[in-house]
Amino acid sequence: MTATTTPVPSIVVGEERLSLLSWFAGVDHKIVGALYLVGGLTFFVLGGLEALLIRLQLAQPGARLLTPEQYDQLFTMHGTTMIFLAAVPLLFGFGNYLVPLMLGAPEVAFPRLNALSVWLYLFAGILLNFSFLSAQAPDVGWFAYAPLTERPFSSGPGVDYWAAGMILLGASSIAGALNLATTFLRLRCRGMSLTSAPMFTWMVFVQMVLILGALPALSGAALLLLMDRQLGAHFFDGQYAGAALIWQHLFWFFGHPEVYIVILPVFGMISEIIPVFSRKPLFGFGFLVASGIAIAFLSFLVWAHHMFAAGLSGAELTFFSAASMAIAVPTGVKIFNWLATLWGGTLRLRTPLLFALGFIGMFVIGGLTGVSVAVVPFDWQATDSYYVVGHMHYVLFGGTILGVFAGLYYWFPKVTGRLLGEGLGRVHFWTTLVGMNLAFLPMHWIGLEGMPRRVWTYPNVADWGLWNLVETIGASLIVIGTLVLGVNIARSLRRGAVAGPDPWDAWTLEWSVPSPPPPGNFAAAPAVRSRRPLWDLKHPDRADPPRATGDEGWLARLRPSTLAMFLFIGSEAIFFGSVIVAYIAARPVIEAKAILDVPRTFLFSLFLFSSSATMVLADRAVARRRLWLLATLALGAIFLAGQGSEWLRLLQADRLTPSASLFGSGFFTLTGLHGMHVLVGLVAIGAVTLLTRRPDFARRGRGGLEAVSVYWHFVDAVWVVIFSLVYLWTLFA
Amino acid sequence: MPQVTTPQLQSILDISTFVFAVAILIFVGVEAALLYAIFRFRERGDDRPAARFVSNQRLEIAWTIAPLAVLVVVFALMLGAMQRISAAPADALVVRVIGHQWWWEFRYGDVVTANELHLPVGKPALLEITSADVIHSFWVPSLAGKRDGVPTQIQRLAITPMQEGTFGGACAEFCGQEHAWMLITVVVESADQFQTWLDGQRGPATTSTSDPGAQVFLSSTCINCHTLRGTSASGTAGPDLTHFASRATLGAGVAPNDDAHRAMWIRDAGALKPGALMPPFAFSETQLADLVRYLGSLK
Repeated sequence: MTATTTPVPSIVVGEERLSLLSWFAGVDHKIVGALYLVGGLTFFVLGGLEALLIRLQLAQPGARLLTPEQYDQLFTMHGTTMIFLAAVPLLFGFGNYLVPLMLGAPEVAFPRLNALSVWLYLFAGILLNFSFLSAQAPDVGWFAYAPLTERPFSSGPGVDYWAAGMILLGASSIAGALNLATTFLRLRCRGMSLTSAPMFTWMVFVQMVLILGALPALSGAALLLLMDRQLGAHFFDGQYAGAALIWQHLFWFFGHPEVYIVILPVFGMISEIIPVFSRKPLFGFGFLVASGIAIAFLSFLVWAHHMFAAGLSGAELTFFSAASMAIAVPTGVKIFNWLATLWGGTLRLRTPLLFALGFIGMFVIGGLTGVSVAVVPFDWQATDSYYVVGHMHYVLFGGTILGVFAGLYYWFPKVTGRLLGEGLGRVHFWTTLVGMNLAFLPMHWIGLEGMPRRVWTYPNVADWGLWNLVETIGASLIVIGTLVLGVNIARSLRRGAVAGPDPWDAWTLEWSVPSPPPPGNFAAAPAVRSRRPLWDLKHPDRADPPRATGDEGWLARLRPSTLAMFLFIGSEAIFFGSVIVAYIAARPVIEAKAILDVPRTFLFSLFLFSSSATMVLADRAVARRRLWLLATLALGAIFLAGQGSEWLRLLQADRLTPSASLFGSGFFTLTGLHGMHVLVGLVAIGAVTLLTRRPDFARRGRGGLEAVSVYWHFVDAVWVVIFSLVYLWTLFA
Repeated sequence: MPQVTTPQLQSILDISTFVFAVAILIFVGVEAALLYAIFRFRERGDDRPAARFVSNQRLEIAWTIAPLAVLVVVFALMLGAMQRISAAPADALVVRVIGHQWWWEFRYGDVVTANELHLPVGKPALLEITSADVIHSFWVPSLAGKRDGVPTQIQRLAITPMQEGTFGGACAEFCGQEHAWMLITVVVESADQFQTWLDGQRGPATTSTSDPGAQVFLSSTCINCHTLRGTSASGTAGPDLTHFASRATLGAGVAPNDDAHRAMWIRDAGALKPGALMPPFAFSETQLADLVRYLGSLK
């Protein structure tokens, strides 16, 4: 193909030139998506280099290329980087760029919130890696088990960087999830019902729900860890039996859904790519959606399978084993449905499909070894050995990364306007596929032979040296494959074949607009009647059966901002829940009884509770709205003052501090967190009060008021729980 | 799987064999279907139209139910295996296993030793696993699955060794810098040999305070961390050295327990085992030689 004579538009957004400023200040979902993708790929390379150093150190027994300190930092940052800074952001990138386009929407629901989440992510990524320069990176593993993370065992700043990074990344992910979930629920174009939304958007939606449910547990745990390390609190320092396991419960309550957070959208990508390249509609749409939801639900019930050797009761072992096995069923359904989609098709074996097929072939291995570790007795042998490292890399590399590569080859022309090279793509695919099997397959047997994971070196026993060398060779092949990808990207950006709007003869809406799409995406509202709108357009005589647009009732009547607020308070409930779990586990009641003044706090609580009533009035009344808002502000402020004076009384008399006792740790953390929420609520109410002065409030400010009102009621409801737990409970003890 | 030498491990092996047989069947089936589809349905340029079917509810229900049924069987078999593995024997030899950064302490009642666990063949043993600092995990792959040593908690692991020999193991939970050199040696021996060993360990250190090596030990900071029963050395931060020379390795498996390595270890433990908590000692050559020889005499 000859070079085009018309000026080539800037990549990412179809404009003539994207200014440098718009990369920083832009809120277009395509810019945000591209930032996520570029950030994710950059950190993928960084995490890959860390993996290469790890593999070089392990290439032979007893090697001294790295010190154990360096090794521990590298394996911790490899895991942390690949999960939080590469996999999740890459998927957020695809989600941000593609979901509005696939839904026929001009933008995401909250573009500025979206920009906030991408910049929070990039900042957190830089912060985490800055720790290398500040003398010590985190070195306690990405799972950061207590009490190794406590000051006596980890006195350097690494763990603090890690915990702070986790809290920032949690905030970034929650903001992003509110946005994409609301986009999916509310911004589908006319004619696109939930039953005809593309599978990728469905899986992104389920992923977002998982993020909202899981990430807050990590944020809560990381916050408690910081309380321990910075303020001398005692949540995980082993003052009470079970402290160490509370961390594990909180971490894996997040950590296992996290696996599905980084695989579900990939399932979605595969479900888009396979039909287009086998020229057949997706098989079993309903089962695929249902199995995605089933996986999401079950993923919240399986966390303790990471703890089979940690000292669970027999009942716990049985329950978590059963749930972990059960999750294989919906996962199997997906594999079978993809095979059925391929069956009878006309397979165009281009690079996107190659990677998708590689994904199926490799993910099956990770899935089956996953079932094996759900079997408790086998897991007693396998857990914390290299077997698990092998299993997990077949899921995360063979699954997530091969899937991401498939998506990259498939959608790269949409984002940049140019196709990636097919020849280099094949080289990339085969090197990666061979490399990953050499790197990760031998791990299974040397693990079962007794090689533990996370060791910086190992004794020269049996054939461990040989297989570790093979693994290192495999890892090097992956590095070479990734270099080939880099060359491919660089070449395509400069002189790749121009893609045009629809290079793959595909069927979803993103292929109906120019590549890259212009700001606002669609010149005219797209017409959608079925799951394959472009098929209908191209083959009016053989159009797909139309889908009913179904009444989505209450959902459609909610303002997007209110819907997002409901989702947000859902995640906030998990956040408070994780702190409350830690509080209860410490059995604080006896000490609380001796110290707290229940009637006094009850009195101040009444002010807070009555502010919910004034907030309702402010939300409903038009005439005296500002008055009721000010009343709410005043009541909330009185409550806060009451709480503040209680803190002062306890601290000044030196009766209680966060470091004085376990109860002190829990008391100040719980009431402090709630106080901060009240404060944020008061600031928001103040802002809304100011907005009421504007003439266009009725049109532009109502949504804000409603969202703040929902938030305020939630803050009050949380206080009912905390007040009962911390104060009222003492009356019955 | 490593060599199987206990009935507990045999139970693990049995259930695992079944699981892997099923897994391999499924694996072969899926990969075969995938490869068949690739070869059979790839584009050949003959304009063969693709099929258009989009669902088949019966088929889909079938491939939801069938794996579920298989898993129910696996689950039922697993429950039986768990029962057999966890059953605590009545007259077991109880050994307290305490993980430290980065070595193992073994207590047989009042007999304290480190890094080398001795068990009599044919007699059930009940290990009570815990930790003195962070989380560790006790794992000897030829004997049994692993159990974490969690501070403030005790986990019980039943093992009935049926075969004499020496078996290797390691800490399996990441526990800080020297997680890698926290190896375990298990010596399974006949009941008589075991009793002889235990009686030997019970006695105080063979020591005469006039020994120049003993004087070096007892007059330096060695005694703050190490115990020599029968002397003033009663530290507990490091391994009990009363019968140090009876153990085959030092530093929890990092080096053989011979004069040369003992000297290297005392001079700078961190050079052999980077991160080890024992500080370097600057003894004179004579002092060091005396000390090394003395430690070698602590059978």
